[in-house]
Amino acid sequence: MSHGYLSPTGLEIAFVLIGLVTLGSGLLVVTVKNLVHAALWLLVCMGSIAVEYLLLTAELLAWIQVLIYAGAIIVLFLFGLMLTRAPIGPTEELNVRHRWPALIVGLGAAGTLVTVIVQAYQHTWFDPRGAVPLGSGEALGTQLFKYWVLPFEVLSVLLLAALVGAIVLSRRGRDTEEAEA
Amino acid sequence: MSILAASSTTATFVAPHVEFGKLSPMLIAFGTATLGILVEAFAPRKQRYGIQVGLALVGIAASFAAVLALAGTTASVVAQGSVAVDGTTLFLQGTILVISFVAFLVIAERKTDQNQDAFAAQGASVPGSAAERETTRRGWQTTEVYPLLMFSVGGMLLFPAANDLLTMFVALEALSLPLYLVCGLARHRRLLSQEAALKYFLLGAFSSAFFLYGAAMLYGYAGSVNLAVIAQHVAHPTAGSTLLYTGVALLGMGLLFKVGAAPFHMWTPDVYQGAPTPVTGFMAAATKIAAFGALVRVLDVGLGVNSAENVWRPVMQAVAIITMIVGGVLALTQRDIKRMLAYSAILNAGYLLIGVTSTTAQARAAVLFYLPVYGVAIIGAFAVVTLVRDAGGEATDLSRWAGLGRRAPIPAALLAVFLLAFAGIPFTSIFIGKFAIFQAALAAGSPDLVIVAVLASALAAFFYLRVVVVMFFSDPLPQGPTIAHPSIAVKTALAVAAFATVALGVAPSLLLHLANNSAGILAK
Amino acid sequence: MTPSYAPVAATGTFALTAWVILLPLAGAAILLIGGRRTNRWGHLLGCAAAIGSFVLGAVLFFALLAKPGAQRSYDQHVYTWIPVPGFTADVGFHLDQLSIVFVLLITGVGSLIHIYSVAYMEHDENRRKFFCYLNLFLAAMLVLVLADNYLLLYAGWEGVGLASYLLIGFWQHKPSAAVAAKKAFIVNRVGDVGLSIAVMLMYTTFGSFAFGPVLNGASSAKVGTMTAIGLLLLLGACGKSAQFPLQSWLLDAMEGPTPVSALIHAATMVTAGVYLIVRSNAIFDVSPNARLVVTIIGAITLMFGAIIGCAKDDIKKALAGSTMSQIGYMILAAGLGPIGYVFAIMHLITHGFFKAGLFLGAGSVMHGMNDDVNMRHYGALRKFMPWTYVTFGLGYLAIIGVPPFSGYWSKDKIIEAAFAQGGTSGWILGCAALLGALVTAFYMTRVVLMTFFGQKRWVPDAEGHEPHPHESPWIMVVPMVVLAVGSVAAGFLFSYHNAFVNWLSPVTGFSEGHSPINTAVLQVVTLVVVALGIGYAYLGYGLQQAPSTPPLGSFATRAARQDLYGDAFNELVFMRGGQYLTRVLVYFDMKGVDGVVNGVSAGLGGSSGRLRKLQSGFVRSYALSMFGGATLLIVALLLVRG
Repeated sequence: MSHGYLSPTGLEIAFVLIGLVTLGSGLLVVTVKNLVHAALWLLVCMGSIAVEYLLLTAELLAWIQVLIYAGAIIVLFLFGLMLTRAPIGPTEELNVRHRWPALIVGLGAAGTLVTVIVQAYQHTWFDPRGAVPLGSGEALGTQLFKYWVLPFEVLSVLLLAALVGAIVLSRRGRDTEEAEA
Repeated sequence: MSILAASSTTATFVAPHVEFGKLSPMLIAFGTATLGILVEAFAPRKQRYGIQVGLALVGIAASFAAVLALAGTTASVVAQGSVAVDGTTLFLQGTILVISFVAFLVIAERKTDQNQDAFAAQGASVPGSAAERETTRRGWQTTEVYPLLMFSVGGMLLFPAANDLLTMFVALEALSLPLYLVCGLARHRRLLSQEAALKYFLLGAFSSAFFLYGAAMLYGYAGSVNLAVIAQHVAHPTAGSTLLYTGVALLGMGLLFKVGAAPFHMWTPDVYQGAPTPVTGFMAAATKIAAFGALVRVLDVGLGVNSAENVWRPVMQAVAIITMIVGGVLALTQRDIKRMLAYSAILNAGYLLIGVTSTTAQARAAVLFYLPVYGVAIIGAFAVVTLVRDAGGEATDLSRWAGLGRRAPIPAALLAVFLLAFAGIPFTSIFIGKFAIFQAALAAGSPDLVIVAVLASALAAFFYLRVVVVMFFSDPLPQGPTIAHPSIAVKTALAVAAFATVALGVAPSLLLHLANNSAGILAK
Repeated sequence: MTPSYAPVAATGTFALTAWVILLPLAGAAILLIGGRRTNRWGHLLGCAAAIGSFVLGAVLFFALLAKPGAQRSYDQHVYTWIPVPGFTADVGFHLDQLSIVFVLLITGVGSLIHIYSVAYMEHDENRRKFFCYLNLFLAAMLVLVLADNYLLLYAGWEGVGLASYLLIGFWQHKPSAAVAAKKAFIVNRVGDVGLSIAVMLMYTTFGSFAFGPVLNGASSAKVGTMTAIGLLLLLGACGKSAQFPLQSWLLDAMEGPTPVSALIHAATMVTAGVYLIVRSNAIFDVSPNARLVVTIIGAITLMFGAIIGCAKDDIKKALAGSTMSQIGYMILAAGLGPIGYVFAIMHLITHGFFKAGLFLGAGSVMHGMNDDVNMRHYGALRKFMPWTYVTFGLGYLAIIGVPPFSGYWSKDKIIEAAFAQGGTSGWILGCAALLGALVTAFYMTRVVLMTFFGQKRWVPDAEGHEPHPHESPWIMVVPMVVLAVGSVAAGFLFSYHNAFVNWLSPVTGFSEGHSPINTAVLQVVTLVVVALGIGYAYLGYGLQQAPSTPPLGSFATRAARQDLYGDAFNELVFMRGGQYLTRVLVYFDMKGVDGVVNGVSAGLGGSSGRLRKLQSGFVRSYALSMFGGATLLIVALLLVRG
């Protein structure tokens, strides 16, 4: 069975289109003059990536993407903007100084990633209609809990350490406040 | 790809087989840390310190016992290929545990500073504020540092054993994160400490990102993060090697950051100076051991093929040379003893890199010998630093140390022993270590490295001996620092460190043989 | 008879060799670790360790005596110090006729001085520490003479240097003692560098540090290399044995407690240089040039020390000058080759007896005179300290070489051997040795006359206490008596049926020297010369009273009082040189290193003020350098890949 790029399936067309949406919204994130708008465009960007995951049958990853990136992180951004009383309206001087270096670094990173992925998977064919979808929760779970069980468990320990550490760093006991008062 | 393909055909989930016995040293360490957190939650405040210190020491001892029990068993890869338990792993784990035990004795010290340990009672309170005075008066302590440091010990045990890049990354984070936190908790000179912690965290995260990026590239190259699979692809390349070496460079950068090699060393002096001194000693010794273990494993297992060795060897040699020059030259102008020791740590990383770049079994044994002897001596040196105190904490400025030899002969003599060892005076352990490394490098055909190393040693002798001269040949200051009388724990730690430094210089053959026998690395 | 080095493994009694060293080492360790808890019995432990070591040495000696001459060489391998592939260094001990002689001297005189010190240091609150250092010294010195390879010998060499440093500076509260200790330490470093380079050169030439390969291989090695090694060994010997031009520290070393001066700076440690040269006889046998330099150094020093001895009013410094001079004799004899090695060691042993005795006598005098060392404040002490007077007197007769006292036998042989060297150099060396004998007789007579004869010139000490000279306690007298017996009898015993020559010649080799002058004539000449020296001193110090304050004196006297400008020389060459070197280093430190740092900073662009902060500052600049480093790594790896 040969696979070609010349007669695209509907799935492939959809994938490319959503990809263009991702790219466009990503560009808008860094070019709009309004911080809140940038954050909202980021939401679109993240969301469209989730759609791409779904198209590749990676449903678990897609939901994680929505929950964490689109959900938690964007909301965190918006709260951050609100709490720091950053200007809500258009800001002219927004990040002009480092435009060119940033562009170079961005393009460089993108170029490297594209090279890596293309080189790594150029001979791999993925069939979205396979028996057990590769990105399914089951496949991912099997991977995680069978082959990566040790790093996974250590990660949980790491998170525990981070949690305790955060408390240690930020704690100011009630008794102390009484003492201050 | 093989793993991916295998999993997709599995219909029902079969629980993985985990070799708990082989993993027991790390599991005990992590378990002790978790228990410590429970102690924080449930034990009364007054008893926490005692319980935590005891628990940590018992945990380390138990973990060491597990290492001893595993010694001599056949090398194997366990936990689905994530961890390799071989001679090198066990040797380094044993070393890390011994070093940690000694370091914890120093970290737990309370007698030198008005019955309080080196950590701020509350990390977030403003230094010098009424709140801080109040908490100090009540004798509150941040006893969480003990479980946190135990997490770090667990990460250190896993780091040199990790057989795939993902596990290695997780171990790296597990060992680093608690250290970032603890660095910022110094009781005295808090701002310096917090600055150091933030710097360490930001730069550490930066280097971790590089590590991860490198790991991703190697995954792209080999389709797996498993070192053995990467090695197969390196031996029988199916694609161009650009990805491979770009990945190796980024991965290497992450590891070189941890060992403190130039040009990724700049955090070292700031962090060593700012961190609470007992923690600095722990970091300088144990982190370095773990990081060198991981570096050796990546290079030997993943890139041990001749064709790859020929590529990374000259580059790593250049790094070794730069590291030695940077460490040696910059140490010359330091006026602060902790910064001086930090640059000395960089210099020693350079010597160790010489051992790493010579890929013979002899060189591996030399590296294995050097790590424990250096670690013990540097912990001892920092432990002496904790004893020399001013009103504002430790007196780390060298000018304050004038004539210390006359006012406090024993601490000064101990520090002199460690410094003379660093300077490579015969009949000290580090002399033997250096000698073994240089000899191995010569045998491996790199006389140029040895010449640079010997010159750097000569340079280094100058600044080590300068401290000795200041201590013993200068007149004491009229208002010099006070010398704290340490508890029996610190005395024990110092005695062990000094004894090991001298004894392993006079009779090193036991450890050398152990290192020789342990030098084999499991390459499958 | 050419010596060969072929030891057999030490078994049975000979396996005790290591214990000779371990006993004092254990003593030192216990006293060091035990700290104040051992204050009460520390000195006794120290003495016991020294005496035990001496007893073991005696047992070994008799065991050796029971063996035939060719089988008196044993090697005890203890363990391998550095078992790194391609380089092994062993710790092992070598027992033969030469080393056992030293063992007996070190532990014998050492034991006596330990006993003496019990009383001498009785009122010193740090007596325990003193015994700890003394035991440490014994152990190090025994390692030096028992080592079976040059590396271990070097370790012992550094060990005695350390012990000597600690003991000279023992009374740290005296600034002069601290300075003297520092000076001894630094001057010795110069010599040690010579020895260490010699040892390295041996390893590159012979591929081993062990005596066997080095000594047996010397005759087939290149003569140039052997000369170089020989001269470097000599440099080492000059430092440790206070030979010209590294002699200056010995006079200052008299700041240490007197028992230390007797043990370390008269009887044992300072003779280590002689041991080194005699032990390395195979190397010097190959190189006549090296031997010539050795004899010249010896001749210069023997005159140098003797002249200094004439001018000093400090009794210990006068004796120190004499030590320098006597070691000059030994070095001279050692440089003469097979005709002299044996006599160098023989003089070393007899000197060990009489010089230690003289120093203990001096200590006894000081003990009675409120620790005053100035001989101009002595006088007429013979009535008050009869034992000290007699033992000191016997030592005096021995050192100036009056028959039948021990110095006569050994020094006379050296003078004969010097003439027997032949040629012009033989005449010059012989005359120098003769002249030295004359000056020795002069200054020693001066010391005795000023101390024990004439009238009281006593002065109260700084606190106004009048001296009340009295005989020292018996525990100090006994060692003096034992040493006096040795000073009287040792020379005769050694020379009886050539006992000493026969004993040592398997190790050092021996060939009979043939003096151009008839031996009997030479002996008479020597005695006449000695008599002249005594007579001249009697004219100056016996018939007329020495003034309490020193007269200005001639140029020569003033020069001698200044140690013949040894310090000025040192200051010019070593100290000034060192200071310039330091200044250059500091300059480099200030300008060079900072300059490089600044230069690099400036080179990166921007003002140096801003970039100085890069050096000690911002996370972002650190991150930038890391990023740059990573880029470099990538580029380098890709470039190397080709």
